[in-house]
Amino acid sequence: MRKFRFLLPLVAIMAGMASCNKDDVAKEVPVVTTGVYVLSEGLFNNNNTTLTYYDLGTGTAVTDYYANVNGAGLGDTGNDLLLYGGKMYIVMNASSNVRVMDAVTAKSIKEIKFETPGGAKRLPRYVVAYKNKILVSAWDNSVAVIDTATLEIEKNIAVGANPEQMVVSGDKLFVTNSGGITPGHDSTISVVDLNTLTELRKITVGLNPNCITADSANNVYVGCTGDYAAVGPKLVKVNTLTNTVVKSADTAVGKIRYFDGKLYATGGYLGSAYIRALNTADFSAMGANFVTDGTQITMAYGLNVDDTSGDIWVTDAKDYVSSGEVFCFDKGGKKKFSFKVTPGLNPNTVAFIRK
Amino acid sequence: MRRGVLIYNLLFLAVVFNYRASAQTGDSTKLLNKVTVSALKKKNNFTAATPLQSLNSETLQQLNAPSVGDAARYFSGVQVKDYGGVGGLKTVSVRSLGAAHTGILYDGIPASDVQSGQIDLSRYSTTFVQSLDLQQAQLRQLLQPARAYSYGAVLAINTPVMYVNTFAGKQWRAGLKAGSFGLWQPYGGVQLPLARNMSVNISSEAVFSKGDYPFTIENGPDSEKSRRQNAGMRSLQGEINVAKLFDDSAVLQVKLFGYHSNRGLPGTVIFYNDRSVQHLWNKDLYFQTRYRRSLGKHTGFLTAGRYSNNYTRYTDPDYLNNQGGLDNRYTQREAYAATAIDHKIDDRITIAASSDVSYAWLSSNMPAFVQPTRWSFWNNMSLQFNGRLWQLTGSLLLSTVNDKTTTGTAAATINKLTPSITGNLRLGERSPFMMRLFYKHVFRMPTFNDLYYNMIGNTSLRPEYARQYNAGLVFSKQFSDALKHLTIGIDGYYNLVNDKIVAVPNKNLFSWTMLNLGRVDIKGMDVTAELSGQITGAVSWFSRIAYTYQRAIDITNPASVYYKNTIPYTPDHSGSGLFSLQYGRWSGGYSLLFSSTRYTIGENNPFNMLDGWGTQDAFLSWAKNMKAFRMQIKASIDNLLNKQYDVVRYFPMPGRSFKISLQLNNL
Repeated sequence: MRKFRFLLPLVAIMAGMASCNKDDVAKEVPVVTTGVYVLSEGLFNNNNTTLTYYDLGTGTAVTDYYANVNGAGLGDTGNDLLLYGGKMYIVMNASSNVRVMDAVTAKSIKEIKFETPGGAKRLPRYVVAYKNKILVSAWDNSVAVIDTATLEIEKNIAVGANPEQMVVSGDKLFVTNSGGITPGHDSTISVVDLNTLTELRKITVGLNPNCITADSANNVYVGCTGDYAAVGPKLVKVNTLTNTVVKSADTAVGKIRYFDGKLYATGGYLGSAYIRALNTADFSAMGANFVTDGTQITMAYGLNVDDTSGDIWVTDAKDYVSSGEVFCFDKGGKKKFSFKVTPGLNPNTVAFIRK
Repeated sequence: MRRGVLIYNLLFLAVVFNYRASAQTGDSTKLLNKVTVSALKKKNNFTAATPLQSLNSETLQQLNAPSVGDAARYFSGVQVKDYGGVGGLKTVSVRSLGAAHTGILYDGIPASDVQSGQIDLSRYSTTFVQSLDLQQAQLRQLLQPARAYSYGAVLAINTPVMYVNTFAGKQWRAGLKAGSFGLWQPYGGVQLPLARNMSVNISSEAVFSKGDYPFTIENGPDSEKSRRQNAGMRSLQGEINVAKLFDDSAVLQVKLFGYHSNRGLPGTVIFYNDRSVQHLWNKDLYFQTRYRRSLGKHTGFLTAGRYSNNYTRYTDPDYLNNQGGLDNRYTQREAYAATAIDHKIDDRITIAASSDVSYAWLSSNMPAFVQPTRWSFWNNMSLQFNGRLWQLTGSLLLSTVNDKTTTGTAAATINKLTPSITGNLRLGERSPFMMRLFYKHVFRMPTFNDLYYNMIGNTSLRPEYARQYNAGLVFSKQFSDALKHLTIGIDGYYNLVNDKIVAVPNKNLFSWTMLNLGRVDIKGMDVTAELSGQITGAVSWFSRIAYTYQRAIDITNPASVYYKNTIPYTPDHSGSGLFSLQYGRWSGGYSLLFSSTRYTIGENNPFNMLDGWGTQDAFLSWAKNMKAFRMQIKASIDNLLNKQYDVVRYFPMPGRSFKISLQLNNL
């Protein structure tokens, strides 16, 4: 049997190679002071949603803050993040829950599951707050009402098909009913009375509404994606007092935010490398690109406005399969700074920590 | 243009048939040699001009590999994408070219999937496989359908009907395998000689599996220790073969093959979401025929045809749309014909030509489905020079592909000439060494999914090209006693993939699209060794070792963060080993598989890294000849150390499992 001894080192080498593990990555837990959180949704079915804390004082970014604190990952496809009443709410679409954590320590407080009594997943999408409640749109044609003290779902308000973004204007909630990615889509927004928590009416705006923002003069602006083919994208302005469409134009927008008399928008469903500031009356762009200093964004994916400073924060998804980046611009469209959210993929939301 | 090629094909067939007719009028009765069949009988991998690895039925038994997809993992240079379990999809990529560049030949005729471009090898059971061969670049024999020349590598699945014993009397086999996670696998097959040199071969196998194996997915305090859900699988497959041996030693084979399956799709393990309700049904039916004969002393003729009908139904009752869920149905059909001829001009030169045509069409109940159809033509010319110690073969393949759709634009017609050249040289009449070299240029067409899938497809896609270069050395020697036989093959290769077709979410994350976006540089080395011997008169042993080293890096865009990073799911090191012993009625064996770390996406960082893994299997079997039949009992353990691992991230693989089987067959 001596002849087979030469096999032994070979087996040892094979076993050694097979057991090569990745090095443990340092788990940094920063002290949260003045800064922002960035939610990166990751890739669908990859369980790689991450939370970045960016410290404005030191200029350092820590990813994944949630996993470093809690030892577990957030899960799959985090769509939205909200800071409200000392808590942080992260809406996890594919994991089908809302993760509630402390706004400063990021310590998990509760996982609010989104499922039907039969166990089917409701797939939540976006979150807004109103008077100690948070409202979460879910793809099962509803908006869930969650009490911020009990953290229980108190009610589900029936709306249109596959609701996406929502906005509060006065004591009403406006919900975009996208109709999902099935042909036909939906074309309406739902108007929900926030006192009775019931849908009052639907307003037809355009095919496949996805994003929405409200101004301070009783108007909401709805971005409609169209059907990715024959029907193109639209931007629609709705008066919330008369519930009528007051302006509709073939303007493509991805994410849209109203601030200080202007609409800030990313480029729309075809994606774009630039940001525009639009006139609220005729949707005309104030310059071809809001960014005036030549800063290159690859794929503007999320847009948030810091309403205390007026800074515009843009998340860059790059090619969607490599680590994202976040840019902070001043009102004049000049870059203040930027940072990477490595290894976070597809950053979509920036939230400002107010203490 | 297409009409031109069609005419060319018809002309080619006309020439071939004329030639055949004139040959028959000659003294063809003298040509009663059995070349046709016996050529398939024995293979010596050593003399193959391009790297050839083979697993025969005996070795397949020792590998505890229930499906061809499981067995293919033991070849060097192969990465099997395995989604886990009996019902999990298994596709084969050879030398990092991707599954669509691997051709699958079932009993000599190419199988295809024009919808996805990749064939699920978990569907092919190894129970009735006589030999599984993986050959790089070119098949050994020139007399092949032209389509067989179009692949980067060919995995040939051969059942007993491809061998001369087809006509060797009555044979039968029946058995039952039972295993962990609710596995039951009954099978049976019979081969009967009929009058007039005909034989019939019928075999069938059913698989029932719960597939609810336990797994652990690491997620800190929220780690999931659970069992696979919705992983049940039921399948039934069967085939009927009729073969006829003519007086002039021509052989005609006819096969009817059916496969039905019904399985849950357990899907990705998603954190905090254990719901799994997706379901898949497959119904495949095909008919194929192959006729091979000699036309005179120096000429061989082959013609083959195939008609296949593949039905797929996928449901997701949870899918949140206004139809109350997804219910997608696809039917894919293909009609295919091939004609080939080879002719020995003299002792040194052989020329061969072949011409194939295929018409494929896909229909679906999906709204706005464009019902694509595809005409494909392959025309190949080969020239082979044989020296005393060397062989040199050159081939030139013309491929023409033309698509049509009911609405929207179809992909542009493709016309491509792709060459290949292979050579080998023995280093002396008695030298145990042989050198081999090859260059092959191949391309793969974008699939119907790539081109026409609702919202994702991109009709302006170009084919994906791969250039392969290979240099190798083989050592083969017979000794005596303890080490009777030793063969070692080492091949170094370089592949360059251009215009790689990749899915890119370039609109938003819900609407991906397909793009020709990629250049991949692949350098690698395959090592395969086979050893066998006789320790004492009663004890014999066999061992097989395969090792692959490869660096497959993305060289698409120097500005991207993943420039020169390893492409997803490609380990630097991987390999396998098998050692078996035979002593009288007993035989036992041990096998292992391993892979080093891989990355799940193009950007290589620790977050995207997937641990390496290694698994070990073992078996023990006992056989005895009874009065009327032979009985074999076999017990096996898979994944001895209960290693938890993923081949594809968040698709956990089974841990330790047991299987016991009983087989009865004729003496």
